[in-house]
Amino acid sequence: MEEWGSPQFVAEQFQRWYAQNSHTIPAPVEIESREFGFLTFHGRNMYRHIKLPTQAELQRYLRQNAPAHSYYSSSYYEDPTAEMARKGWRGADLVFDLDADHFDLPCQREHDKWVCRNCGKQGTGHPPELCECGKAQFQTETWLCERCLQAAKHETQKLLDILIQDFGVHQEELTTNFSGNRGFHVHVHSDTVKTLDQHARREIVDYIMATGLEAEYQGFSQRNKGAKPALAEGGWRGRTTRALYDYLSVVTEERLKEIKVSPKAVQAIMGERPKILRLLMERHPSNVTPTIDPKSLQLIVDDAAKLQAAEIDTVVTTDIHRLIRLPNTLHGKTGWQVQTVPYGELPDYDPLSSAVTIRGPSVKVEFREAPRMRIGDVWFGPYSEENAELPLEAALFYLCKKGARLA
Amino acid sequence: MLSEREAAKYPFMSRGVELVEGLNLKLEDLADPNYRKVLDRAAERVTEAIVQGVVSARLADPLTELLSYPVAVMFVTLIGEHFLSRRFALAEAVRAYELLQGEYEDKIIQIASDEFRWDLKREPESIDGVIYSLRLAYPDYLRASTGFHEPKWKLVNRKLRDGQVSLTGVEAARLIQVEVENWIKERVSTPSNFALPGPLQKHLDHIRKVFEENRSKLGGSSLPDEVVNEAFPPCMRYCLEGLLSGRRASHMERFGLTSFLVNVGMPIDDMVQLYVSVTDFDEALTRYQIEHIAGLKGARTRYTPPTCNTLRTHGICRNQDAVCKTVTHPLSYYRKKARRLQSKQEEAEPSNTTE
Repeated sequence: MEEWGSPQFVAEQFQRWYAQNSHTIPAPVEIESREFGFLTFHGRNMYRHIKLPTQAELQRYLRQNAPAHSYYSSSYYEDPTAEMARKGWRGADLVFDLDADHFDLPCQREHDKWVCRNCGKQGTGHPPELCECGKAQFQTETWLCERCLQAAKHETQKLLDILIQDFGVHQEELTTNFSGNRGFHVHVHSDTVKTLDQHARREIVDYIMATGLEAEYQGFSQRNKGAKPALAEGGWRGRTTRALYDYLSVVTEERLKEIKVSPKAVQAIMGERPKILRLLMERHPSNVTPTIDPKSLQLIVDDAAKLQAAEIDTVVTTDIHRLIRLPNTLHGKTGWQVQTVPYGELPDYDPLSSAVTIRGPSVKVEFREAPRMRIGDVWFGPYSEENAELPLEAALFYLCKKGARLA
Repeated sequence: MLSEREAAKYPFMSRGVELVEGLNLKLEDLADPNYRKVLDRAAERVTEAIVQGVVSARLADPLTELLSYPVAVMFVTLIGEHFLSRRFALAEAVRAYELLQGEYEDKIIQIASDEFRWDLKREPESIDGVIYSLRLAYPDYLRASTGFHEPKWKLVNRKLRDGQVSLTGVEAARLIQVEVENWIKERVSTPSNFALPGPLQKHLDHIRKVFEENRSKLGGSSLPDEVVNEAFPPCMRYCLEGLLSGRRASHMERFGLTSFLVNVGMPIDDMVQLYVSVTDFDEALTRYQIEHIAGLKGARTRYTPPTCNTLRTHGICRNQDAVCKTVTHPLSYYRKKARRLQSKQEEAEPSNTTE
C-alpha cells in the first residue's frame, strides 16, 4: 500500500528539480564559515555539522542529494564541522522568523486540526496546553491559506519598518525570504549586528514586540511636559500614540473591562472618545493622563501596542546557534521554493504563484482530508476520501502536506 | 599641567598610561622616600574601595593622584582576591562617574570614543522637556546597559532613531562607568606574585589587614556576584512569593528570608523597597531591622539564615527537590544551584531548525 504523502515520488520530483536548478542557488555570505544541515525524505535524522566551503560544492551537494529540507547556520564559525562547543563562534546574522504558526488567527480553526495521541480527542486550531485526559501528546495537521500568508506579510512589513527606521538598518543589509510554508524570514547581515550577544538580541526582540514598553517613557506621564503631539514621531513614542489612537477609535467597553481598566477610565473613554482622540492628535501625550489614570493607561497601551509591534518568534532571534532555511531551496512540506523577495515588492508578492516552481502534467492521487487551496490561479479542493487527477504542482503540494498519496 | 590634571582624573585612559610609562619608574624607585605620598595614596585608593566602595578624587596633587593608580592596581593583583578585584574596579569606576558628571559633553564624547570606541555624537533634542544632548549607537548602548534592570534603561523605553539612542550627559556618564569598571576589572583580575621592597610590602600588609577585617561584612565568600533568583531554594522562593502575594508571614519566615537575601547580596535599598512596597511596614523601621540583620547595626555581626533543620522545625522547609537532599543549609543550596546554572549556561546548547 502506498504511504500517505508518497515520499518516494516527491523525492524524485525534488531530484529532477535540483538537477535542473541547483546552479541557480547562490552561496550565503561567507559560505566557508557556515554550518549546513539537511533532512531527507527517509528517516528523521538531520545531517548536520557539514561544511560546504564554496558555491560549487553547495550546488553539487544539492544536486546529488536533493534534500527535503536544507538549512544553514545564521552563525559564522571557525570550524563549522566541529561539535557545538568547539565550533568557535565568530558572530551571527540577526534573523527573524515570522510564521503564521505562531499567530492566533481565526482561519486556523478552519484549516488546522489536532488529535490527542493518548485519548483520541480531536479539535481544530491550535491544540490546548493539556488535553482533557491530562496528557499533552498531540498530533497536529497544519495547512495554510491566503489569510495566513497575508497576516505573515503584514507582520513582516511592520518588522522591516522598525528595522529600517529605528535601528537604521540599510536596505542592502536586509534580505526577506518567503519561508516556503507559512511565513517569512528576515536576515540582517552587517558588521554592526554580527557580534551582538544574546542579551543584546533579547533587547532587540523586546523592542520589536514592545515587551516591557512603559507608557510613562513614551510621554504619557504628568511629570513629562512638552508641547508637541507624538503622533508623527519616530520610534515607539510615535508608535505608541498611533497604536493608542487606532485602538481607542474602535475599542469596546467589554474589552476595556476585560483588561481591567478602571471603571472611571472606561466611563471617560466611552463618554469622551472624540475628545481623547483629538488630544492624541493635537497635544502632547501627557494631556491624556488626567482623563485616563496611569495604571489604566498602561493596561490599554499593553493591549494596543500589539497593533504596531511585529510578532516574531522570540527563540529564533535570540538563539545564536540556529540553523535556518537556505534561500532558493525547496521546502519538503509544501514542495515550494524558499524565495528572496526584493525590498519593496513584499506587498505584491504572491507565494502561491511565485514559489510554485515544480510544475508538470497531471497525476492521479487519492485524498484523505484536504482543504481548498489556490495554486497559481487555479483553485483546488476541498477533498474528502476521494480520487482526483491534478496538475503536478497541485498534487505535489497535497502530497507534501501528506493529505494524499499516489492513486 | 592641564593634561596632567586630566590624566589624574581618568588615570585608566591611554593618556594617563602614556604619562606614567614616560617616567619609566622601576619598582625599587617607588621604595624611595620621595614616593611615599604615592604609596600612601595608592594604599588609600584600595582601602577606600574596600571600606567605602568608592575611591575619592584628590586632584590637588595631580601627579601623586595619577601615579598612585597603577600602584594601587599592582597592590590589588598582588592580593589576588577575585572579590577585591571586582570591588576595586567598581569603586574606581564610580569615582570616574562622579567626575564625568561635571564634564562638558565634548569631554564625555572624547573619552567614550577614544577609550571605548563608542559611536557617540552630539545632537541635542528636547524630549518631554528634558534635554538629551547625545546619541549613541544601539550596539554600544546595549553592551554597556546589560546589567541595568530599571525600565528606563530598556531599549523599548528609549528614543531610538536611525540606530542611535538618545541620552542625557549624566546617562552617558553612567554607561561609561560600566565600561570603566569592565576595563579595570580585566586588568586586575589576573593575580600576580612577586617580592616587594620593604616600604611597599608594608603598605600591602596594611591593605590585606583592612581587607580581611571587612571581608565577611562585604560578603566576599564564593557566592555569585549578582543575585541569581533561579538559584533560590524552594523554601526561600516560597517565602518570597508569599511576601509578594501579600500572605501573612511569620517572624521566622521574615528573618529567614531577610538574612538569606542579605547573604546572597541583594542591596539593602532594594530590600527595603521590596518590603515597603508589598507590606505596610514603616520604612525607617524596616531599614533598621534589615541593617541589623546585615550586621551594620547593633552587635555588628551579620546573621546567616537558619539551617535546613531549623527551617524544617518551623514549617518553612517545603517543596524539597533533588538539590535539597544534598545540602543542609539554604545558602549551600544557592551556591550549588547557581554554579550549576552557570555551567549549564556556558555549555550554550544549540540549536534547532527554523521552519
